[in-house]
Amino acid sequence: MALSMMESNNRLIYNDAGQGPVQHQFSPYTDNGGSIVAIGGPGFAIIASDTRLTSGFAIYTREQGKLHSLTNAAVLGASGCWCDVLSLTRLIQARMKLYKHEHQKDMSAAALAQMLSTMLYGRRFFPYYVSNVIAGLDEEGNGVVYSYDPVGHCDKNMYHAGGSSGALLQPLLDSQIGLKNMAIKPTAPLTVEKALQITKDVFTSAAERDIKCGDGVIIRIITKDGIREETFKLRFD
Amino acid sequence: MSSSALVPQVPSGGFNFSNYQRNVSLCASGFPAPKTTKTGTTIVGCIFGSREDIGVCLGADTRATSGNIVADKNCEKIHRIAERIYCCGAGTAADTEFTTKKIESQLELLKLNLGREVPVVVANRLIKQLLFRHQGHISAALVLGGVDNNGAHIYCIYPHGSTDRLPYATMGSGSLAAMSVFEGGWKDNMTEAEATKLVRDAIAAGITNDLGSGSNVDINIIRKNLPKPVIMRNMEIIGVKGERMGDYTYPKGTTKVLKTEVIPIKVEDEVVERMDTDQD
Amino acid sequence: MISQRFANLGVEQGAGVSGTKKSATRDMPDWMSAEHSTGTTIMACEFDGGVVIGADTRTTTGMYVANRVTDKLTRVTDRIYCCRSGSAADTQAIADIVSYHLEFHEIESGEPALVRGAAAVFQDMCYNYRDQLSAGIIVAGWDSRHGGQVYSVPIGGMLVRQEVCIGGSGSGFLYGFVDSNFRPKMSRDEAEKFVTSAVTLALNRDGSSGGCVRLGTITKDGIDRKVVLHNELPKFYEG
Repeated sequence: MALSMMESNNRLIYNDAGQGPVQHQFSPYTDNGGSIVAIGGPGFAIIASDTRLTSGFAIYTREQGKLHSLTNAAVLGASGCWCDVLSLTRLIQARMKLYKHEHQKDMSAAALAQMLSTMLYGRRFFPYYVSNVIAGLDEEGNGVVYSYDPVGHCDKNMYHAGGSSGALLQPLLDSQIGLKNMAIKPTAPLTVEKALQITKDVFTSAAERDIKCGDGVIIRIITKDGIREETFKLRFD
Repeated sequence: MSSSALVPQVPSGGFNFSNYQRNVSLCASGFPAPKTTKTGTTIVGCIFGSREDIGVCLGADTRATSGNIVADKNCEKIHRIAERIYCCGAGTAADTEFTTKKIESQLELLKLNLGREVPVVVANRLIKQLLFRHQGHISAALVLGGVDNNGAHIYCIYPHGSTDRLPYATMGSGSLAAMSVFEGGWKDNMTEAEATKLVRDAIAAGITNDLGSGSNVDINIIRKNLPKPVIMRNMEIIGVKGERMGDYTYPKGTTKVLKTEVIPIKVEDEVVERMDTDQD
Repeated sequence: MISQRFANLGVEQGAGVSGTKKSATRDMPDWMSAEHSTGTTIMACEFDGGVVIGADTRTTTGMYVANRVTDKLTRVTDRIYCCRSGSAADTQAIADIVSYHLEFHEIESGEPALVRGAAAVFQDMCYNYRDQLSAGIIVAGWDSRHGGQVYSVPIGGMLVRQEVCIGGSGSGFLYGFVDSNFRPKMSRDEAEKFVTSAVTLALNRDGSSGGCVRLGTITKDGIDRKVVLHNELPKFYEG
């Protein structure tokens, strides 16, 4: 009964070419994948991204990091629609130069965070399809992490996971860094070593289950002495 | 068979469409259908050898996905159809699983009725007619391979029910990567070792270059002059599991106990019934 | 809110056949749902003593050549063949059913089926199921009553006898060539050369035709099949 109704609903009338009308759609956005993890701690901030750039089921490259060092105290991680990432970061670089010439100093992490928010909201009705995370040091030299939605909402945290594996990794960070829902909590403050180890391990885990995450990870460690970079390999299938 | 409103009615065989209209209206009001597990896959098959020393080599990766998430890292995609007929499946995992199972049982009954080994063409016909009947709604893309008295055969079967007989075939999201290996390296009258190497390379190409495929290489070899197929499950691990550095065990007592309540099971009555187990 | 936005902005992969009756579902890759179709060049031509049928060997799924050695000349009876164009699944199913009917008919009547009869069975299926099928079929063969015959059963289920018939997406490039080069009552060699040239011209111009040329010559003695490999195809102007 149900089957025959279904067929009558789908009835088609053929034209001479033997095909129904074809509707074409254009989408300006594409999801190139990419995952970002950022952790802030006392005296340091670290931010990491995977190095795989994808389109659908294909890999464009296995060595495209998604971190952009903005100043000596702030690094931006951006993933999503890669062409939007490119134009957004170019625009940020230009705005930073304008700021430097006007104020005779580099932008602080907080200033960068506010600027990015306004830039994203400026495109409220044709947004940049980018998931942004800024990791940097605040005035006291402690780590801060700013995370965004595509239209400019900004959250200030101590840790954040964004991009394709964001939903996979955030609960893990909530447990390991945020120490949420624990009756017995470790009391020692977070060290760079511990944060690094957790960052590497969460990427290893993400590469197991997220098909868009893999190949390698680039990590930048931000301290008062500057920015140090580390890399390590992930599974490549 | 009438039954009381309290007794659930056991459905008769075949697909059940009773929720079709409801689901269409749910979809229209923005509640999408749940995701099915897809084996966004690389599967291949090729013929090797010649005349009496002929055989087929089937290969598959072992990743099953649900959207962007890996649902199973080591699933089996090479299904048994008959003693010397196997079938690699791509598409919706449930569809490939159930179509191959259904055909396996039909072929077994046919074998018992005919009293002889069923040829590969029969398996191909049964599958293509099943898929055509369902007009592409059963998303099973298959590479069917096997040997019989007429030699070795590979069939490529598409979800709409079209089939191709080929000396070598690839299917799934990694089919392009795998086919490039075949087109570059396939020769007539290969040895078993050469064919196995080629199939391994084709699956490895799919695993590394296609996001829908991953983990390990499974290979089955069926030869005309061997009564049983050689099944090489996980013959090579391409995607090696990453090693974690930290220890993520929680000390006992980490989870807070919010409330404790003990509900004892109260036995009100005890009845012993004797069951008649004699088969008359 | 974020996740919802991302979901809406998701990519749509090149779904080649959206809008047609078996459209690709939104977020599925092409290979899973795109229908397998023989975007084709097929033709058949009567000659003195039989018919010559010809076809290219390409089968496509969207942009991908799924089979480069396809056999689109399908046996119906010993002396009746059909050339298939349109959906591969539909035409294979039709050909299977028709050949079943005709085999049964030949057993019942005790003599080889007539080409006209075979064409009528094809038409019957194509017309009755015209809403659900996309199949353009050429039926050709030889019988003792009318000799070599060619029948065309296009989409919609019409049936018409023609001395020469072309079909598939490549046929659009061929009308002029066929009109200027076909002559009734050609010799067998002339007819074979004519069909080879025509299919070659079409597969050189039509993107969804290609590969080799398959030929079949059906006379009272049955079929004689040939393959002209791609490097053996006749050469034409390639400007």
